[in-house]
Amino acid sequence: MIELTINGRKVKGEKGATILATALKNGIYIPNLCYDRRLKPYAGCRLCLVQIEGQRELFAACATQIREGMNVTTDNDAIAEARKTVLEFLLLYHPLDCPICDKAGECKLQDLAFKYGASHSRFSAVRRKDKERLDAPFVERNPNRCVLCGICVGICNEHQGVGALNLIGRGFNTTISPAFEETLDCEFCGQCIDACPVGALGNKEYRHKSRIWYMDEQRLICPFCGCGCTIVVNTREDKIIRARGKEGIGVNSGDLCGRGRFGFDFIYSEKRLTQPMIKKDGSHKAVSWDEAIRFAAEGLSRVKERYGPSAIGGIGSQRCTIEENFMFQYLMRHVIGTDSIDSAARFGYMKVPKAYKKAFGIQYNPINWDSPLKSDFLLVIESDITSTMPVWGLNFIQAKNNGARLVVVDSKETKLARNTKDWIRIPAGHGTTFINALMKVIYDHGLFNQQKARAVRDFDKLADFLSIFPLKQAASELGVDISIIERIARDYAASTHRLIALTVSFTENTKDTNLLLSAANLLLLMGDSHEQLQCPAELCNTLGAYLVGLKPEADGLDAYQMLYKSQQTKALYIMGENPVVIFPDVSTVEKRLRELDFLVVQDIFMTDTALMADVVLPAYAWAEKEGNYISAKGMLQTITKVSSVVGQSMPDWMILRNVAKALTTAPVPSTLSDIRQMALDKIATSTTPQEVSYRFNPVENLILERPDSEYPLTLVTSNVLQHSGALSGLSKNLSAFVPDAFLMINDIDARTYNIKEGKTIRIISRRGNVMIKPLITNEVPQGTVFAPMHFSHARLNTLTYPSVDAGVPLVAVRIEGD
Amino acid sequence: MDLYRASIMLCGGTGCIASGSQKIKEALEEELLNRGLENEVNVVFTGCNGFCAQGPVMTIYPEGIFYEKFALKDIPEIVEEHFIKGIPVERLMHKDTATKHPLPHMNDIPFFRLQTPWALRNKGLIDPEKIEDYIARDGYFAASKALFEMTPEQIIEEVKRSGLRGRGGAGFPTGLKWELSAKVEAPLKYIICNGDEGDPGAFMDRSIMEGDPHAVLEGMLIGAKAIGSSQGYIYVRAEYPLAVKRLKIAIEQARERGLLGKDILGSGFDFDIEISQGAGAFVCGEASALMRSIEGKRGMPRPKFWRSAVKGLWDRPTVLNNVETFANIPQIILKGADWYRSLGTEKSTGTKVFALSGAIKNIGLVEVPMGTPLRKIIFDIGGGIPKGRKFKAVQLGGPSGGCIPESLLDTPVTFEDIEKTGAIVGSGGMVVMDDLNCMVSVSKFFLEFSTEESCGKCTPCRIGNTILLDLLTKITEGRGEPSDIELIENVSKQVINASLCGLGKTSPNPVLTSLRYFRDEFIEHVEQKWCRTGVCKELCTFFIDPEKCVGCGACSRVCPKNAITGERKKPHKIDQSLCIQCRSCYIKCNFYSIKIGPRSMREELLAQASNQPEQSIQTPLEEVTQ
Repeated sequence: MIELTINGRKVKGEKGATILATALKNGIYIPNLCYDRRLKPYAGCRLCLVQIEGQRELFAACATQIREGMNVTTDNDAIAEARKTVLEFLLLYHPLDCPICDKAGECKLQDLAFKYGASHSRFSAVRRKDKERLDAPFVERNPNRCVLCGICVGICNEHQGVGALNLIGRGFNTTISPAFEETLDCEFCGQCIDACPVGALGNKEYRHKSRIWYMDEQRLICPFCGCGCTIVVNTREDKIIRARGKEGIGVNSGDLCGRGRFGFDFIYSEKRLTQPMIKKDGSHKAVSWDEAIRFAAEGLSRVKERYGPSAIGGIGSQRCTIEENFMFQYLMRHVIGTDSIDSAARFGYMKVPKAYKKAFGIQYNPINWDSPLKSDFLLVIESDITSTMPVWGLNFIQAKNNGARLVVVDSKETKLARNTKDWIRIPAGHGTTFINALMKVIYDHGLFNQQKARAVRDFDKLADFLSIFPLKQAASELGVDISIIERIARDYAASTHRLIALTVSFTENTKDTNLLLSAANLLLLMGDSHEQLQCPAELCNTLGAYLVGLKPEADGLDAYQMLYKSQQTKALYIMGENPVVIFPDVSTVEKRLRELDFLVVQDIFMTDTALMADVVLPAYAWAEKEGNYISAKGMLQTITKVSSVVGQSMPDWMILRNVAKALTTAPVPSTLSDIRQMALDKIATSTTPQEVSYRFNPVENLILERPDSEYPLTLVTSNVLQHSGALSGLSKNLSAFVPDAFLMINDIDARTYNIKEGKTIRIISRRGNVMIKPLITNEVPQGTVFAPMHFSHARLNTLTYPSVDAGVPLVAVRIEGD
Repeated sequence: MDLYRASIMLCGGTGCIASGSQKIKEALEEELLNRGLENEVNVVFTGCNGFCAQGPVMTIYPEGIFYEKFALKDIPEIVEEHFIKGIPVERLMHKDTATKHPLPHMNDIPFFRLQTPWALRNKGLIDPEKIEDYIARDGYFAASKALFEMTPEQIIEEVKRSGLRGRGGAGFPTGLKWELSAKVEAPLKYIICNGDEGDPGAFMDRSIMEGDPHAVLEGMLIGAKAIGSSQGYIYVRAEYPLAVKRLKIAIEQARERGLLGKDILGSGFDFDIEISQGAGAFVCGEASALMRSIEGKRGMPRPKFWRSAVKGLWDRPTVLNNVETFANIPQIILKGADWYRSLGTEKSTGTKVFALSGAIKNIGLVEVPMGTPLRKIIFDIGGGIPKGRKFKAVQLGGPSGGCIPESLLDTPVTFEDIEKTGAIVGSGGMVVMDDLNCMVSVSKFFLEFSTEESCGKCTPCRIGNTILLDLLTKITEGRGEPSDIELIENVSKQVINASLCGLGKTSPNPVLTSLRYFRDEFIEHVEQKWCRTGVCKELCTFFIDPEKCVGCGACSRVCPKNAITGERKKPHKIDQSLCIQCRSCYIKCNFYSIKIGPRSMREELLAQASNQPEQSIQTPLEEVTQ
């Protein structure tokens, strides 16, 4: 720590910190417009000028490092004069259109003008009259208001790794714009909007909706991915008007992705369920809650009586709270008496604890949020982290900016791939082969941690496996030069703080448990700990759902067995999940659901699955209810009610309790706080630290379906940044931007199959076919096509098939023009 | 090696190429061939000779006969007379200013005789596209000395002791800069040569790069050894295509001879150089902006959060020196620090190259020891002001410098003395101004330059300079108010105070020095609405002093509007309703009979003309001008 004096006060700051950061941390305000904690010093606005004892010139506090014994004055006559002049300069050309500016009330320039009272100018000038740009979605640009602080450019280029905005022109005519003044076309994270100190960049969805001072500000946890970001929402009359991040608040501390910032409006979808319904004569009729609950209870009892309790299964939701999921499994396990409980995570995150158990002897392993920043070598295997976990993904870009080595191994040109010089393109689903090849080099050259690795169980097995591993063949299969593999392996082995990161999501079909095991092998070979493998749980409460028991704990069936393997399940209770769209091979799923004797669906929308249900129960959505999520980093976070509820909907826990009460006369937990306590107790037992027990599990790259002459292309499914599962599809904002499913195809393939953009094509796998619009791009390699999974009407899961363990479920397809 | 009886050193600098030396070279060679002299007379296309105003120029050795301002049609005569008959062509020689006698030898000409060329020691003597020529002039001797006989510490010590200060403008001690960088431990360091010469009226660096590119490479190589760098860059502005071409050739030749690349001359030292071209931004001459530009980013200065000796180009330790600085290094290593110190003054050692331009006879490059008075450079070497006009000011340091008046002409050119005047030595541009220059307009010109070249990053430079320019424009257009002068000073102070980089911090200098030495002119502009030089059209009225007018009619012939009438040998008259204040008559008149009065006079004269067309004009000001 360095001690210095600011305005006569002794303060302390970290070595390398700037005067401005240190002052702000110590509660000393220095005016600034171009400072952003996340960026390198810009020193453009010149408002933070301070006097340093012994120095003739004034120094920009944002760009001057603190030194021991430094004596800083942040305000005196000379500084005030300089500052006032700079403000006068800015205000001379800044349009004073505060009455119609959405930023008014939280505008930094407005606040500074207020503070320094620069209302009178000694100069006269003609203000710019550039046209407001409203042509892009989400982001509006008003160049006239811009003070050229450069924060948006820094955030977009340095922090977000996108580079859609830059300074154009020079001198007085400098503007901030996308290249060639074109319409902004980016990932629309909206980070620039929050970062803009004035009203030059605005949130188009918020445009002229409300004045700042009429809105209430509340905090919520984002309902999308597992990052668990805190969204600061502004509400008016119990409706969310705007969402943004705020510095210092939550794990994201100001950062948000586009989903979190713009996607909240799914709760205002017209498709929300408002009444309980039961199916009579093939169509759904609205009924009273009493009738619906009675109908559900009777249906379940009937099946239980006829086939026994284990004929009933339950599929809960990674998006519901721990309380709701606890009550769900309580109803299943303790009221009905079945252990067949699961969630969509079966096809995604559940592979992680499964592999962890084998490799490390433990199951519960939340991510370490800062781990990328503490590492000097980041190996990202077939994972588009900035799409699946956008805000955590920023740490990878940050780490790279700080000088860490970022190696991205992926078939697709992801954002991380674009942000590193070490992008190694491998064929989709070949991550295990790549890792095995790395281990082969490390093993052969003795670059591994001899002492630690040999102490791990089954080292001999791994040694045998590696000694005969065909590196040449692997390299040719990967299409990567052996010298590159060797270079990466050597550099990996030579670095000190290694990290392997990969996401396992139910929408992705390029990964399996073998990939996780091989990653574990690699890190154990280097003598690293299991904490150096980071696999985030993908949705807002995936980890919570898992911890409260949303999985078979004894002899129950999992989702894969219930829906694909056995005929044992005769009734299903599905809460907040849409298997008909989300689960692989939907034809089989649909067939199974149709065969059921009884189906209960509890949701906020009339989903495709709900349409098949015998009874549909409307639930509260996020922001309408209270509860807790557990984020991927294992943090328990509370959500509160900020928005008014829809129709007769009820909180999930209450519906479940009422069904339970209708099924049994035994006491059931009846209040939310009771349920919460029981849920937390259960979580406490699941998260008790366990003794690790490392073991090598040599594995091959197992691909379940390879392209052949009939189906010559490989289909890869995944997320897109702007969507995350079922909820985002119902956001008007997000759907307006990415309205429809698309199939990304390399331009060589496009020519081969005579595919043109704008013309729908048919894509056919062994299981079915769907129509889709092509998007020709070289982000995907030749021979591989890519499709996001979040569009219910596209029914891409017609083509896919499930894999819950070893085996990469790549899909072989062919394409036909229409 | 071929031996010739004579060598023609024909200048191939940008100035002489512009006046046709490329074609002359071809014609010379053809003529020599036709006369069967191709094996006797050698034509060498040299770098800039420095005497640019007289271009094309050439020197014929062994005698050292200097010819200037010749044309294609003169070639047969030169070959016939000089080489066949052995009689030098007098009419193409330089003439003494006073006696008009021809001065046959280069060293007879004061312009050359009074110089001390060290950085320019090879000017006009070598073919810049031939490394052999450079080596023949002791080229790369210093480099091999540095590589084989000196440790990095010794090189740095020698340079430090020489007192060499950066020739790019700031005058930072070069040895100290190298020492700071040598101390930083890093696997990769960069050394950059700044050839982004951008000051209006400066062309020293261009001439060195064009005329003696190997001197720059050798200087960089020595610097690289001193700081432990393995990669160098030369950043050249794209407006210097000839410099780029010759540097490229030089680098290629040095590589071929093992003077660049791996294991240089078997010393085990690796160093190579790449050329990076700018895209026309003045601000890219600023160190941090230059580095961003090489990185392929927008050329914008960044705050000195890290010293570039620690984190410069691509965040690696970097040393950046100017072209002329590097060109000085080989001689310092070869001849020693003491020799270098013997030139110049104690605090400003060595020589400095200046680019003389503007209202001066001998436009060109001059190199003199530091401490030489301005007067000597301008009058003795530069030959003074042409056409008998009066010296008004000399602008030093370009848009960061200032205008020095006549009263300070005895100031010795050292970093310290020039700074005291309010100007700076800068990179060495010297723009001489005669009494036709309006100092308000000159200030405006430089401010226009800075405003246009501001990158737009920091508020004071971006907006402050725009405001200053607006104020000066207002004044030159006749809308100035007395309070504007104070406002200019106030804004200037804050722009200097608050700007981020050198460009902003110095951009008000030209206007401030002009206000210091020529304040009256500013006051005349705002109070009397009078531009005494007639540059600001809205602030002047041209009229003829009947006492002085001899009625030669020269003025009426140049007047584009036929506004001047009068009988021969009788005083002429300007019709104010037709006059467009183009100033042609004023410049043309050899008798100083055309006077400039304030704008208000025009109305009076117009009124008089309509009332009493025959009455003579009363001069409203006692002594208007001259």
